[in-house]
Amino acid sequence: MTAVVPVYSLGFGLVTASILALAAVGFTLQFGVTNILNLAFGDLMTASALVGYGVNVIGGTLAESLLAGAVFGAIASALLNRYVYTPFVRHGTKLFGMVIVTLSTGIVIQNFILGWFGANFFSYKVAQTKTYHVVGMYFTSIQFMIMGLAIAVMIVVQLLLTQTRLGKAMRATAANPALAQISGIATDRVIDVAWLMSGALCGLAGVVLVLNTTSFQSTTGNDFLVVIIAAAMLGGVGRPLGALVGAVILGIATEVSAAYMSPSYKEVIAFVVLVIVLLVRPGGLFGNADAVRSSNA
Amino acid sequence: MLASFAAAGIASGSSVDTGTAALTIGVFNPFSGPDASFGPEQMAGCLPAAAAIEAAGGILKHKTLNCKASDSRGDPADAVPAASQLIATTSNLVGILGPSSDEASATVPIFNRSKMPMFADTGQAIFDKNSYHYYFRIQPADDAGGYAMAVYAKDKGYKRAVAVFGNDIGAQGTLPTVTAGFKHLGGKIALSETLPLDQSSYRSEVEAVAAAKPDVIFMEADPQTSATFFAELQQLYHLVPIVGTTATIQSPWFSAVRGAIGAKNLKKYYVGTQPYAPTKGPAIVAWTKALRSVWTKVSQPASQWITNTYPESNYDSVILMALAMQAAKSTTPSAYIRFIVKVANGSPGAVVVHSFAQGKKELLAGKEIKYVGATGEIHFDRSNNSPGLFEMVSSDGQRGAVLSAAQVNLAK
Amino acid sequence: MSQSMVYYVTTILVYLGVDILACWSFNLQYGVAGILNFAFIMFQAVGAYTAAVLTLGPSSGNGGFQHYILGWTLPFPIPILVAGVVAAALAYVVGLIALRRLRADYQAMVMLVISVIATLVVTNELGLFNGPAGLALIPEPLSSLVSSGGYPWLYVGVTAAICVIVYLFVHRVTSSPLGRTLRATRDNQDAAQALGKDVVKLRLFIFVFSNAIAGISGALLVEFIGAWSPGSWLYVETFVILTAVIVGGTGNNAGVIMGALLVPIAFNEATRFIPPFGRPGLVDAMQWVVIGILAPIFLWFWPRGIIPERRRRFKVPAILLVGSDQSPTRPEMTTAEAKGEVD
Repeated sequence: MTAVVPVYSLGFGLVTASILALAAVGFTLQFGVTNILNLAFGDLMTASALVGYGVNVIGGTLAESLLAGAVFGAIASALLNRYVYTPFVRHGTKLFGMVIVTLSTGIVIQNFILGWFGANFFSYKVAQTKTYHVVGMYFTSIQFMIMGLAIAVMIVVQLLLTQTRLGKAMRATAANPALAQISGIATDRVIDVAWLMSGALCGLAGVVLVLNTTSFQSTTGNDFLVVIIAAAMLGGVGRPLGALVGAVILGIATEVSAAYMSPSYKEVIAFVVLVIVLLVRPGGLFGNADAVRSSNA
Repeated sequence: MLASFAAAGIASGSSVDTGTAALTIGVFNPFSGPDASFGPEQMAGCLPAAAAIEAAGGILKHKTLNCKASDSRGDPADAVPAASQLIATTSNLVGILGPSSDEASATVPIFNRSKMPMFADTGQAIFDKNSYHYYFRIQPADDAGGYAMAVYAKDKGYKRAVAVFGNDIGAQGTLPTVTAGFKHLGGKIALSETLPLDQSSYRSEVEAVAAAKPDVIFMEADPQTSATFFAELQQLYHLVPIVGTTATIQSPWFSAVRGAIGAKNLKKYYVGTQPYAPTKGPAIVAWTKALRSVWTKVSQPASQWITNTYPESNYDSVILMALAMQAAKSTTPSAYIRFIVKVANGSPGAVVVHSFAQGKKELLAGKEIKYVGATGEIHFDRSNNSPGLFEMVSSDGQRGAVLSAAQVNLAK
Repeated sequence: MSQSMVYYVTTILVYLGVDILACWSFNLQYGVAGILNFAFIMFQAVGAYTAAVLTLGPSSGNGGFQHYILGWTLPFPIPILVAGVVAAALAYVVGLIALRRLRADYQAMVMLVISVIATLVVTNELGLFNGPAGLALIPEPLSSLVSSGGYPWLYVGVTAAICVIVYLFVHRVTSSPLGRTLRATRDNQDAAQALGKDVVKLRLFIFVFSNAIAGISGALLVEFIGAWSPGSWLYVETFVILTAVIVGGTGNNAGVIMGALLVPIAFNEATRFIPPFGRPGLVDAMQWVVIGILAPIFLWFWPRGIIPERRRRFKVPAILLVGSDQSPTRPEMTTAEAKGEVD
């Protein structure tokens, strides 16, 4: 270890950050627009990864698996919202109630997978990949693909949010749903789109997560959920750009800290970073502290 | 309403049991939660044994033996009521397969005070010496496995080792002895790394392992963690010989790691430790036949269980209990328990038997017997542990070096 | 009753007592103060660990198979009381971080993260509470007083006595002006602020007080089962307590007893009798699916639980209604109802 920060661990952090970014942006996007804390997100990642696995088993390419995962994630999320979450909101279930509903949904999905497929581990069949050295960092071709995908998706999401009518409507709804509705924005449609986008990102994140872990089971996605939430909170919940930055910070913090101390503590470091940031800025790095104040909870 | 195990006509004392009710073996292990794969594995040993016993006409006059799954959920707090309930509400419960390491420390005392013989599948060293009269273990302790791994690595001429163990209860049981043993034998432990389970990546850990330049890696972690770790080791460094523990020879572990580094590499670089078991002979024939008879009832694919010493040892445990009942002419645990050791260890002049049917026949003919089962000879020590021998096994089920007790003792 | 039945029944009774304590504690936070504490199980665990290491003898004199701090061999009931104090102290620190003026769902997320940090630390710091293997062979308190056959009943008595004492405290808090203020602020913090009450301080008090109860419940459990490990406090365990509170009746101490009786005890025990079908393990996965569906079903059909909270009518200062679109006289009322969106 000659450099102050080992360059290789930066590279490791970038891969973790890419997976995390896809998931955290998806998570925060939907939360910002709909205000529903979707704790089933991690289990939906597992389900999407399983669908991608199904495509892989029948001989599909990696791209087809990713597409299948994304499409499944999008449709499942939208259906979940329309037939489970929204009815509960309309029924009058409050903030806490909704957290419980989403948590329950996650538990049901996870154990349904366990019941159906058993306590087994699944691995995608992928051709052995080459390792490339780039300025002191190492990446496999799959990891290049993951990082490329993450960057491309981030750009698309950012453009969508800032350059299209729909995206502007989404941001307006996130900022103030009542005002958005009065201003003539079809909030229902916006919410549907938010769930579809969030679900697609969730599906992609699920497939790339298990491509990187190379093997997964019914609990894999849920094990990742707390880190996703941490990244989203670090950036300021409801802020896609913030989630991206949060993901990069957490990804790099975990791997770089692992170069200096026992890697068993790398997650602890990530979470301690989050707690410190929240002490200083309760709204997260990019969040508006007022938005998370309890006054309108 | 709920019959206790002592009911249904089981006579006490030395008089002969003439009851005919179905008997039950409780399979007490995790069936849900992180270790949900443990329970089905035990069932894959119990169901064939029950079928073999039924095919031989049952125990005494009891025609049927059932295997009842009881989910411990893999933690002490959930396991305690589950164990109490299993004992209190199961008619004719005659023995237990389990508990596993996850819940053994809380539930072994419960089964023991209820005078219920149990064949634990925990490797925890805490049970190496114990005073639980009803506790039996025919699988070796984790710490003994650690010494065996060290001996094997030394014999292969490896000098620099890295120990990579998951931060779970099972893995941590082996770590102290494999490192102590390898050092004792003159090897060097260049790094001892603990893996937090089920992370998206272990690249930092791999980097540290690579920097240590090991000849060999001692390893145990759950399947997903191991798969991720080895895939990244292969990408960032290169694979080196891996010596795994008894927990890394299971089918889910193989399928996960095979998916990560390929079948060819897994076969080339990996050997795992397992309790020695013969690969052929009459006991294996009996085991295979029994498994075939319940082929569709065990967890699929059933073929994964054929050469797996864990279901084999569970099968042996049930057969052993059944033969002990037959020998004691009683299904009451307190009456038949001392026959467990007798049937396993044998006495001078005892007839060696390899299946329940054979044993029952000899007993009915008035002979003394010694059961040598699918996992080979069983010899209980004072703490009712039967440590047995170790052998190394590769990913395609090929068995290699068998390590004698004397060899393993060298590492201590 | 056969001896094995005695063991089973007493085990269930002790668990019931522990679950009732846990549910009261959770309800004080969730039902009264409006804190969704996803780290709840951590407070129960810290109580359990504390009691364990205070009851056990020195780590070195134990055959060397487990390593832990302290090991002071203290007699009953000191370990249980200290467990409550330690849990309270931890709650104070966590409360300072998590109960700042954050939105309630934000608080829940912070708690979730904190509970995961705790699991990671306990699992990795092997010398603290013996890491992933956890603590075992914790001696039974008071076992020298009675015969081994009578011991389970003695412990049931101890548990019942502690439940009664804790209930007196809990009842005092919920029926005090403090409890009323908190209920009022549960849905509307501005209103309480306007009253001049420092809501953050009040909540912090309830948080510390109730988590002390959680710590005591964990201590009672560990002294009974004699073992404790990280597997016993995965965060899904909080979900079972949460479901119990919702099923029983959020905000109602009596309802919560019903919830503890029905969910962790009756439901859990009853489902063990389901005859196995399908592949080994299928039944157990499906049992979790059913637990998962239970809470949403209640939220839909009986959101106020089996024994609903009494509607308390207390005088509403006019100022409370200013700047607020909901009436604090019906704290259980939903935002949608308040906005007139529900017919």
